[in-house]
Amino acid sequence: MAYTPQYGPGTSVVSENRRKQMNPKLAFEKMRDVNDSDIVLLLGHRAPGSAYPTAHPPLAEQGEPDCPIRKIVAPTGGAAAGDRVRYIQLVDSMQNAPCHPYQRTYVECYRYRGIDPGTLSGRQIVECRERDLEKISEDLINTNLFDPARTSLRGATVHGHSLRLAEDGMMFDMLQRCVLDGGTVKYVKNQIGEPLDKKVDVGKMMDDAWLKANTTIFHSLVGTPFRDDAEYIEYVQRIHSLRTKYGFMPVE
Amino acid sequence: MAKIERAQKLFLKSLKEKFAGDIAGTKTGYYNFDNLNQSARKKEFIAAGKKIEAKRGVSMYDPYRCHLGGLPMGQRQLMTYEISGTGTFVEGDDLHFVNNPAMQQMWDDIRRTVIVGMDLAHNTLQKRLGKEITPETISEYLHIVNHAMPGAAVVQEHMVETHPSVVDDCYVKVFTGDSELADSIEKQFVLDINKLFPAKQAEALQAEVGKALWQAIHIPTIVSRTCDGGTTSRWSAMQIGMSFITAYRMCAGEAAVADLSYAAKHAGVIQMANHLPARRARGPNEPGGIIFGDFSDMIQANRKYPNDPCRASLEQVAAGAMLFDQIWLGSYMSGGVGFTQYATAAYTDNILDEFTYYGMDYIKDKYKVDWQNPNTKDKIKPTQDIVNDIGTEVTLNGMEQYEQFPTMLEDHFGGSQRASVLAAAAGLTASIATGNSNAGLNSWYLSMLLHKDGWSRLGFFGYDLQDQCGSTNSLSFRSDEGCIGEFRGPNYPNYAMNVGHQGEYAAIAGSAHWGRGDAFALSPLIKITFADPSLPFDFSEPRKMFAKGALREFEAAGERTLLMPAK
Repeated sequence: MAYTPQYGPGTSVVSENRRKQMNPKLAFEKMRDVNDSDIVLLLGHRAPGSAYPTAHPPLAEQGEPDCPIRKIVAPTGGAAAGDRVRYIQLVDSMQNAPCHPYQRTYVECYRYRGIDPGTLSGRQIVECRERDLEKISEDLINTNLFDPARTSLRGATVHGHSLRLAEDGMMFDMLQRCVLDGGTVKYVKNQIGEPLDKKVDVGKMMDDAWLKANTTIFHSLVGTPFRDDAEYIEYVQRIHSLRTKYGFMPVE
Repeated sequence: MAKIERAQKLFLKSLKEKFAGDIAGTKTGYYNFDNLNQSARKKEFIAAGKKIEAKRGVSMYDPYRCHLGGLPMGQRQLMTYEISGTGTFVEGDDLHFVNNPAMQQMWDDIRRTVIVGMDLAHNTLQKRLGKEITPETISEYLHIVNHAMPGAAVVQEHMVETHPSVVDDCYVKVFTGDSELADSIEKQFVLDINKLFPAKQAEALQAEVGKALWQAIHIPTIVSRTCDGGTTSRWSAMQIGMSFITAYRMCAGEAAVADLSYAAKHAGVIQMANHLPARRARGPNEPGGIIFGDFSDMIQANRKYPNDPCRASLEQVAAGAMLFDQIWLGSYMSGGVGFTQYATAAYTDNILDEFTYYGMDYIKDKYKVDWQNPNTKDKIKPTQDIVNDIGTEVTLNGMEQYEQFPTMLEDHFGGSQRASVLAAAAGLTASIATGNSNAGLNSWYLSMLLHKDGWSRLGFFGYDLQDQCGSTNSLSFRSDEGCIGEFRGPNYPNYAMNVGHQGEYAAIAGSAHWGRGDAFALSPLIKITFADPSLPFDFSEPRKMFAKGALREFEAAGERTLLMPAK
């Protein structure tokens, strides 16, 4: 019998949102249209329009060994071209940001190939070949995984995910890489904090009602209390109990 | 699980002192704090850095140039911290062990301590050499060893010696479970168990020690700092041997001296920490080798607060976070300076205190555990269901408190800080409720999983690796996979890596015993040794001591200013 992924337990809207984001059969909701060139600017790895720097020759030119795994696994576009491995790192506010670090990692693992995610408490990094990264970044920025005010690109100095929001609704960023300007959020620095020659507009911040309805974090003050999703809690307890018992007496 | 009402929130005073305005509000102003100028300590650092630069001609502390290419810290409020349970507010910098002499002294006092039995030596003297051992000869020996241990000569002519004023923290006392013997030795040399411990604890400790006579030895701080923890037993054994030779008029070269040396260096010595394997390359009496049960007995809060196992455990968390996170992992192992920021979350602003006392209310309300009257009779059977219930409720309550008070979430601005605090509260509560340290550990790991799934975040790569696989080893007793909590330690597999765990694990091991009203967790000898009021660091009040250090009111030992030009 083929395995059918369930994408996690739970009866709450938070659980449902998590499942929707993870399930690769469901398309993300397109929310904004930051173009390719601006995404390249935000990432800060290369100048828009410049060639992709390479770490090795294209696979087709370098004479691959006779390897059964290579025959099974088709390289991604970036791997085939020999691109460098680069990154995007996003910080998610605990005040109902639409995506959160572990959720983001799960989403990426279900939907993309050739990636290396790293998950921390405030931020999540994903590394992959540069042209693949730019495509993934389009999803991460232009869809319902992103809110201009409560999700933010930060390569370093990421502090802010658990702080109160600023009075204008923006998540704290000591480098102020993006600012609320004329009703939309504009990046004035790239993700590592280098000033940009032009501002990159990532659109209007989402309102509280949308965030509450679309978030993937439990939160008893501004969203859905974890305590209210009894099925989810029972699932975590069950996993923990099974692991404990197997560790104590490792028999089937 | 079911939430219970608890009107008293111990962290409110701290949050109100730290943050202006509504501590439950979700928004605030930023970027207007005049960066480093908001902190007296940072301003002091800048002034000091400039002076040093002018004097030595090499640049130093220069945050306006070096921090983020010219953007200094302080775009948000640089918070002060209340050291939990003390009412003392300090700057974070004052809790770095380099800036806090009390923290240094706590570690110094452990590293420079060994416990050495006297019975083996007395047997040698009596049976092999026919010497008479009496309370009077023991007292005379103790006079001599208290002369010799700091570094003074006792046998040979024309010897160099140490200056008493730089080794004034070095001394030797003895203890025994035999009250008659204790009463007959000169008082200045005796750790009087009856006076130092509550009656019930004293009785239990005396029964454990029996008629044996032990020396609690503290070599000079300055020696163990200049050398290392492995020096302690060597230095001590050398002075013990010379003192026996003098006290009992032995021949300096006779073969029996080797027996005394062997007893003092090997057969009769209790190190505070085991030596570590080659890949960690540390000798005995270094922090990585202190097993958690022994550490529980170094900390004395259960002696001072026998009816508050929660307080006793929280004091131990603070001491452990400081030693294992800030000094051991933070500097010995990683070489970094940032671990303080993680570790202090567990002993500042009364946040862990509030979460754990909530747990106490919960076990009293639901399971009728009379935690303020610690005893073995009302401990709950540590079934998986009960541990799950306690761990879940304490964790959910803590998460909800962070959510309801956004300033508290801002206070603990890193996930590993919150993970340590939530899991510690869950672990300590289960441990105190059941009297079983492995049940406490199991509750810790459930808390981690709940936290991770509730907020979709936990610590960081290295931090939570051990937590995501921890459920499985918490009740395993197979070699290299598991162990009884009291026998685990900082070098236990999986524990040897990252900040924010070991102090809490140690306290979980201890709290199982404080919840039962035990006099000690693992070693009665260590418990008695660190009850000594002559030690510069008061092990019954680690948090108060850290506060004194932060306020620059703590006088550390091992000072060498006497030997340098006056400033």
